[in-house]
Amino acid sequence: MTTGARGWSIRARAFDGRVLAGIVYPLLAIAIVFGLWEGVIRLFDVPVWLVPKPSDFLGRFATELPTLAAAAWATSVRIFFGFLLGVAVAVPLALALVSIPALERGLYPVIVFLNIMPKTVIGPILIVWFGIGPMVAVLIVFLMCFFPVLVDAMSGFRAVDPRLHYITRSMGATSFQTFRHIRLPASMPHIYSGMRIGIIKAVEGVIIAEFIASNAGLGHLIMRASSYMDMPLMFCGLIATAIVALIFNAIMTLLGRVLMPWARRV
Amino acid sequence: MATGASIEAKGLTKVYGEGPSAYHALGPIDLDIAPGEFVSLIGPSGCGKSTTLLLVSGLEPQTAGTVAVDGKPLTAPISDVGIVFQDHLLLEFRTAMKNVMLQQEIRRLDRKRIEERAHTLFARLGLEGAEQRYPWQLSGGMRQRVSIARALVHDPSMLLMDEPFGALDAITRTQIRHDLEMLWLDTRKTVLFITHSIEEAVGLSDRVLVMSKGPGTIVDEIRIDLPRPRPAHLGEYPEFAAYAKRIYATFEKLGVYQFH
Repeated sequence: MTTGARGWSIRARAFDGRVLAGIVYPLLAIAIVFGLWEGVIRLFDVPVWLVPKPSDFLGRFATELPTLAAAAWATSVRIFFGFLLGVAVAVPLALALVSIPALERGLYPVIVFLNIMPKTVIGPILIVWFGIGPMVAVLIVFLMCFFPVLVDAMSGFRAVDPRLHYITRSMGATSFQTFRHIRLPASMPHIYSGMRIGIIKAVEGVIIAEFIASNAGLGHLIMRASSYMDMPLMFCGLIATAIVALIFNAIMTLLGRVLMPWARRV
Repeated sequence: MATGASIEAKGLTKVYGEGPSAYHALGPIDLDIAPGEFVSLIGPSGCGKSTTLLLVSGLEPQTAGTVAVDGKPLTAPISDVGIVFQDHLLLEFRTAMKNVMLQQEIRRLDRKRIEERAHTLFARLGLEGAEQRYPWQLSGGMRQRVSIARALVHDPSMLLMDEPFGALDAITRTQIRHDLEMLWLDTRKTVLFITHSIEEAVGLSDRVLVMSKGPGTIVDEIRIDLPRPRPAHLGEYPEFAAYAKRIYATFEKLGVYQFH
């Protein structure tokens, strides 16, 4: 019991240390950068429409919080659905491509072509099809995160040692059992790393989509602020976008622990 | 408890590919393995030892010849079998115990009964305390022990091992060889053991089949008459030296060894 309690307190202390390193230091660094920024702008008397001071946009951030939160929510919903759609299509398609050689030979070049093409050029076409609204953003997010997940899922499904299939076949495993018990979990680290790249691309994609075709969301808010030369609000939008990206990143980290409880944590 | 199965092969031949790129990997060879017998196949690399294992288990189709297990000709992979390869091939996302219990899940066997067997095997193989560990938390020797437990937990009548100790260090290899022999003495499953270690072959087997370079054929058959369980240091038996000498001589005659 005593060793258990001591083990716990050691772990708690290690946790404190990590919190210190992970939260306090970055906050300190940001505070220093903002302080220098504030000082330099005040010293040279730079007008607010050119470069706003942290005090300008941080104050604005507080007063505009409801607007920013609403825009961030709209953006987050689009990221969520676009990303979900991307993963839901990419993983089964990856399995199909890996399992059916003819399908891979036929489809893979098309997929490579679509992947190389910048996804944002589809924006104007999507506007014609779906009008200004959330659909364009969802679809661009879908396209942005679809490819990294597809490519990584394919390499994941291929990564299973063929001799392992000898063992499962000697167990009399059906192909569904092999998929469920072996191929899917074995490819999870690959799919997950595709998802991590995908979520970063998704945030980028949603903002661009909202720049070109939206009446809500952070991209729309930033674009509107830009047309009024409202520099502080644009910086508020930038910070809000960074916060949304951070939250999605944190969710991905948690998801990694849920999907891969076996992974070694350093 | 399942008793050992007999394995009978006639004119077994394997050619990979077709036309000018075809590769004649094995045979023709004949095998006649009695129920409960421990037989080793020893030969230089590329002689078709591993191919023999795949053909005998029905996992690869033969090009010519027949295989029969317990008198029944093989047409599909047999499932009353446990297989161990040189690599442990454990699933990294399952704990040691769950890797072994994969047999129960896929074969839909009684969970409690298999779990009990798994615990017994873990104890016999010196794996107590490793049940809840993931493969990356185990040493190479322990991983291979888990792999052996996985091959035996469903009580198959045949155990096929393809250089199972090839990746282990010499000390671990000697211990695990003994542990396998003790398990085998209790259960008397039919074992086909593929190796290129003379010490392992003589140390474990009732009979050693010596294979030539590819396409492999069986060039010598040695009945090993040593008391069991056999000791760690086989050199204490003069017979061991004689068996080893005979295998070396065969390899030299075949040009596997070229000492000048």
